[in-house]
Amino acid sequence: MPRNHPRLSRYATYIVALAAGALLWQAVASQTNPAFLASFTATMGAIYDFIITGTLFRVLSSSLLVFFTGLGAAIVFGIGVGLLLARVRLLRIGLESYIMVLYATPMVALIPFIMSMMGFGFAPKALVVFLFAFFSILYNTIEGARSLKPEMLEVARSFRSGEWGVWRDVLIPYTLPYAMTGVRQGIGRGLVGLVAGEFFLSGTGIGLLIMQSERDFDVPGLYGSILIITILGVLLMSIGRMLENRFAAWRGLNR
Amino acid sequence: MSAPELSLAPARARGWRAWIGADAAARIAAGVAIFLVWEVSVRLWAPAFVARPSRIIAVMPATLADPALWHAAGATLGAVLQGLAIAIVLGTTIGLAIGRVPVMERFLQLYVSGLFAMPMVAILPLLTIYFGYTGQARLATVVFAAVFAIIINVSDGARAVPPEYIEVSRSFRGSGWSRLFDVVLPSSVPYLLAGLKLAAGRALIGAVIAEFYASIPGLGFYILYNTRTFKHSEAFVAVAMLAILGVLLELLLSKGTKKLLPWYRRDEARD
Repeated sequence: MPRNHPRLSRYATYIVALAAGALLWQAVASQTNPAFLASFTATMGAIYDFIITGTLFRVLSSSLLVFFTGLGAAIVFGIGVGLLLARVRLLRIGLESYIMVLYATPMVALIPFIMSMMGFGFAPKALVVFLFAFFSILYNTIEGARSLKPEMLEVARSFRSGEWGVWRDVLIPYTLPYAMTGVRQGIGRGLVGLVAGEFFLSGTGIGLLIMQSERDFDVPGLYGSILIITILGVLLMSIGRMLENRFAAWRGLNR
Repeated sequence: MSAPELSLAPARARGWRAWIGADAAARIAAGVAIFLVWEVSVRLWAPAFVARPSRIIAVMPATLADPALWHAAGATLGAVLQGLAIAIVLGTTIGLAIGRVPVMERFLQLYVSGLFAMPMVAILPLLTIYFGYTGQARLATVVFAAVFAIIINVSDGARAVPPEYIEVSRSFRGSGWSRLFDVVLPSSVPYLLAGLKLAAGRALIGAVIAEFYASIPGLGFYILYNTRTFKHSEAFVAVAMLAILGVLLELLLSKGTKKLLPWYRRDEARD
C-alpha cells in the first residue's frame, strides 16, 4: 500500500526522535547531580513502580473524574448559553464585552476565593476546571454566533421554519464548529485548572503525586509524574483536535 | 440620480446611530444587571467577608492608594514582560530552526508539541528545585508557559514562506543570512504575533500560579494573602487589575497586528 508510506515514515521518525531523546537524556543525566535531574532509566523505573503499586490507576481515576465533571459542565453550559446568545441578539450584544473580559482574565486568580468560600473537597476542584474551560467554550461559540448572518434566519423564517427548525437547521450546525474550537481550547485550559486545583485546594490525584515527589526529594518520581501528566495532556489535546476537525468539515460545507 | 442618494444617506446614518444607541444601552443594562445579581446574592446567601460590588467600591480608594498593591502589580508585570522578551528570542530562534531545517523538525517537533500540550503548572515543583522559591522560578515559569506557543507558530510561519521568495533570493545570489533575515523572518512576523497573543495570556497565568506556589511577592501573592486574612474586597481589586492586564495585553497585540500588518488576516493562532 503506497498510501501508508507517509504515515509509516512519520511513525519511524517519531520512534527515532524518541530514542535519540532518551539517549541524550541518559547521557546528560549521567553528568549531572541526580538531585536535579533524574536519568531516563530512573524515571522509567519510577513510572513502573507507579503502575505496579496501583498508584497510577488510583491517581488518574481521581484526577480524570474531577476533570471530566468540570469539563462536561463547561461544555453543556458553554454551548447552551452560547446558542441562546446566538438566538437572542440583544442579550449577546449586552453580554459580549463582559464575556470577553472574563475570557482574558486569568482564572487562577479566583482560586483563593474558591478555597475560602468552598473549602476542600471534590466540588471546588471541579468548579476550578469548569471556570478555566467555560469561557473558552462560550467565547468561541459566540464567535460562531456572530458569523451567523441574519439573512439565514430570515430565509428560515420565510420558509415557515418553527423555532425548533431554526435551531436544528441553522443555529446548531452553524455555531457548533466554532464551539468545538472552544472545546479544544477548554480541554487545554481545563487541564491547567485541574493541576492548579489539585495543588492549591486540596491535594489529590496527579497534582498531589507531583507535589509529594517534590517534598520527598523523590526526583525520579517527580520526573515520572510530570511525564505522566504530559502524556495525558497530549492524549486529551489530540482528542480535542479530532473533535474540532470532525466538526470543521461542517464549517466548510456551510460557507 | 442625486435625489435618491441624498435621501438614502441620512436614513443610513440615522439607522447606524440608532444601532449604537441600542447596543450601548444593552451593554450598560447587562452590566448593571450583573452587578445587581452579584450584590444581592452575596448579601442573601454568602458570609459577610465575601466580596461584593458595593464593598469593592468602598475599599477601592484605600486599596489603590496602598503602595504594596502597585509594587505587586509592577513585580508581576515586570516578570511577564521580561519572560515574554526571553520567550520571543528563544521561541523565534527555535521556531525558525524547526521550520527551515528538516533534521531539527524531525527531532524537535514531537517534543515541542508534547511540552505545549502539558499543563504548565505541573513543571512548577521542578522549577522550584532548580531556582528555589525566588523570583527566578516565576520568570522561568513565565518563559516556559510562553515559549512553546511562540515556537509552534513561528515554525508554522517559517514553513509557510512561499518558495518563490526563496527562489528569487537565490537567483539574486543572496546569502543564507540574507535569506533568513530578509525573507524568512519578515514573512514569519504575523505568525510570531499570533503566537505572542496566545503566549501573553499563558504567561500571565504562569506568573500568578508561580506566585501562589512559591509565595513570591506579586499580584497573585497579594490576592492569596488578602483572601487568607478575609479581606476579599481588597483582594478583588487586585483581581480586577489582573483582568485589566489580561485585556490590555490581548487588545495591544490584536490592535498591534492590525496596525503593523494591515494586509494580514490570521485570526487563529495554533493553540
